[in-house]
Amino acid sequence: MIGSRHPARSDELGRFKLIASAIAGRLVEVAPVEPGERPWTDGVTVFATVDASPRDQLRCVAVQAALLAAGSLDPEILRAVARRPALVRRYLAVEGHRALAGQEALLPTAVRSLIDRAVAARTESPAASLAIAMGREALADPPEIFGTIHPRHVRARVEPVEERAVRQHVPRRQGTDLLCEPDGGEDDDSVVPDFVSSSIGGGGLIGRLLKTVLGDARSTLGGQPGADAPTRWSPRAARVARTVALTTANASRPDHIAVVEQRGTTYPEWDAYRRRYRHDWCTVVEVEPKLEDVGPFVAPAPHALRRPLARLGMELERRRRQLQGDDIDIDAAVEARVESLAGSPPDEATYIESQRRRRDLAVLLLLDISGSSGKPSATGATVHAHQRAAAAALTAALHDLGDRVALYGFRSQGRSAVHVVPVKRFRDSLDSHVMRRLGALVPGTYTRLGAAIRHGGLVLDRDAGTSRRLLVVLSDGFAYDHGYEGPYAEADARRALAEVRRRGTGCVCLSIAADTDVQTLRRVFGTAAHATIPRAEQLAGVVGPLFRSALRSAQLQRRAWQRKARTHERLEIERKTG
Amino acid sequence: MTRGTRPYYVPVGTEELVFKAAFRQGLSVLLKGPTGCGKTRFVEAMAYELGRPLITVACHDDLTTADLVGRFLLKASETVWVDGPLTRAVREGAICYLDEVVEARQDTTVVLHPLADHRRQLPIDRLGVTLDAAPGFCLVVSYNPGYQSVLKDMKDSTRQRMVAIELDFPPPEVEEKIVVHEAGIDHDTAARLVRLAQAVRRLETAALREVASTRVLVAAARLTVDGLSLRDAARAAVAGPLTDDPMVTAGLFEMIDAYLDESK
Repeated sequence: MIGSRHPARSDELGRFKLIASAIAGRLVEVAPVEPGERPWTDGVTVFATVDASPRDQLRCVAVQAALLAAGSLDPEILRAVARRPALVRRYLAVEGHRALAGQEALLPTAVRSLIDRAVAARTESPAASLAIAMGREALADPPEIFGTIHPRHVRARVEPVEERAVRQHVPRRQGTDLLCEPDGGEDDDSVVPDFVSSSIGGGGLIGRLLKTVLGDARSTLGGQPGADAPTRWSPRAARVARTVALTTANASRPDHIAVVEQRGTTYPEWDAYRRRYRHDWCTVVEVEPKLEDVGPFVAPAPHALRRPLARLGMELERRRRQLQGDDIDIDAAVEARVESLAGSPPDEATYIESQRRRRDLAVLLLLDISGSSGKPSATGATVHAHQRAAAAALTAALHDLGDRVALYGFRSQGRSAVHVVPVKRFRDSLDSHVMRRLGALVPGTYTRLGAAIRHGGLVLDRDAGTSRRLLVVLSDGFAYDHGYEGPYAEADARRALAEVRRRGTGCVCLSIAADTDVQTLRRVFGTAAHATIPRAEQLAGVVGPLFRSALRSAQLQRRAWQRKARTHERLEIERKTG
Repeated sequence: MTRGTRPYYVPVGTEELVFKAAFRQGLSVLLKGPTGCGKTRFVEAMAYELGRPLITVACHDDLTTADLVGRFLLKASETVWVDGPLTRAVREGAICYLDEVVEARQDTTVVLHPLADHRRQLPIDRLGVTLDAAPGFCLVVSYNPGYQSVLKDMKDSTRQRMVAIELDFPPPEVEEKIVVHEAGIDHDTAARLVRLAQAVRRLETAALREVASTRVLVAAARLTVDGLSLRDAARAAVAGPLTDDPMVTAGLFEMIDAYLDESK
């Protein structure tokens, strides 16, 4: 085995992150375990021994990753073994071998030698292993390298919904980031998102009541202890919860919403059920972010983004029929020749010019700052943190390249209060104020995606001043507000994107670190170019093709629209596209 | 047409049957699959078996209709028409393979429509003629549905004129065989490489944009044939091409050591 033995200790295990993720089948971190402790995992991070040979380090990481892959840390199982260390040991002695054997095809040789096939053959599921462990027969202790399981510390992902916007809320129970003790809630209920104790129905009686009804086992949202399936974010469960939140909306709307001045711009909303617009339905208000005592947001270096974006701005650079250029425009040359043979003065412009053109691009970034983006992602940091880092990097990179760029946050609380927070307007310079405003953004409340998109499109049309325009929506694709959910919300968001695109503005939707499934994103974003990436750092890989394809299709749309606009009534067009 | 040896391709499912049936019925074929999974090799093998010449066009975003169909050139104050690769294939009855067709501009792919459906015709408006495809002509396009939505660039009207064949990385035992055959290494080494690739492929979407393809495995194996250690070969041929990120590179190196180091 190669590699120095004693570099910075905590970083040393970081090398195992990829292999652990490969075996576990999802992104996991690797960190050193507390001295004297045995290796274990909380479902997000594998805690491995540092003071071991590299070979053993690899083995203990692989065992924990295999447990995650095999669903050995299923919440049901964890409940059964909680507070029973002897049972944990016996369970691990059986299940560890099953987990490894199940992943054998993926394991390095050094790890495969750990498998006791006789034991592995006796069980075919975590439940079967548990049954054996609960039996009376004598079982050998698991090898030291198997580490241990800390049932109470297997994390569902943390759910720290930001509630600064809400004055009063139900005090949180300590340790809600751990899987709570079973209290009768079935699996689906345990993934109820934190709407009940968030702004709506917060401190109200109904809210408390609902909280009791729904059980306290919340904030296991999208958690992944052990198996993928049971605790996964399920749209069905989510819908139940959202409906509940909806019905309490009027009962306990927080006072501060009423303070919002009822001015701003009104937008229509598409009613998919009636197949027509509700005119002047949503009011979008631009609100300045509150600059509390937060430091400026430190943006990640945008260098990696510059190259793909730089090429983007220079795309349509081949011009035909130029007086000079580095390629002959054959068609023009032939025509010129024909003309001269026919006796008329030929057109001398017979070259294709590949000159770099002046940049002609304006980009408006719409950053989703609704409560759902406060969810932690698989990598630990919140979705909001990832999205914000991406927004900052994109803004800085585009600004550096000389493009016009604006950044707005958006969230909503009902159709009359769609808040759009200007972080950087087109006319603002990119300075520390912008970064402070970005740092002050706090996720909260809901997402009326359609209205925000329409507003973004309007701002682009009004302020961009370029012919090539791009609207970039950074969102988890989780469209939800009062009276705005499910197919209705998805259809409206899709519609809004189509409207913006029809006016010749390219649309790109980026989901970063969110666990919204691809189908939902497809329904929300429709045929707009969209991509999901697990981390903001991977932006550089996707922005090039994404932006390019969005701009390209926008250009086609623009031409088509101009043609149509000349011949048809506007309403006629709107009726047609759907 | 020279008959060399058949390009090495191991069928995994029904793809050969589908392709040959489509060929005989004069249908066009759409190949889907990740980078380096053997799309090009598959077409080569099929062209060989069907005894048709193969004309390959690597599509790029500046590919114009003229690049495919042909154009007039100037020759001593006269214009000369020069067939493009597509026109040549239509005249000769060859298999025309458009690699990564989504890269081509949308207005370019429209020229394929009358060719891809029952008409099997190529209208060349600059010549004012419409060519009927010679018997044996077959249009094959490929694309990599890797990017999540960019793939939608392929117009539905184009897609629906095609018979789709989905290719993926072969199962481990087949991939082992391929690596052994292509590089001439022993089974055990090939198995190690394949296991590494299997693990790396689990990282797709999580940490990597593209994963280790069969092609990079063959490349790594061929480096070892030339005397490189397996580890160095994999670092150069598998890890290097996949990422530029130092953190990810370190992680991949670790995986290479874990899966390939003979001492373990």
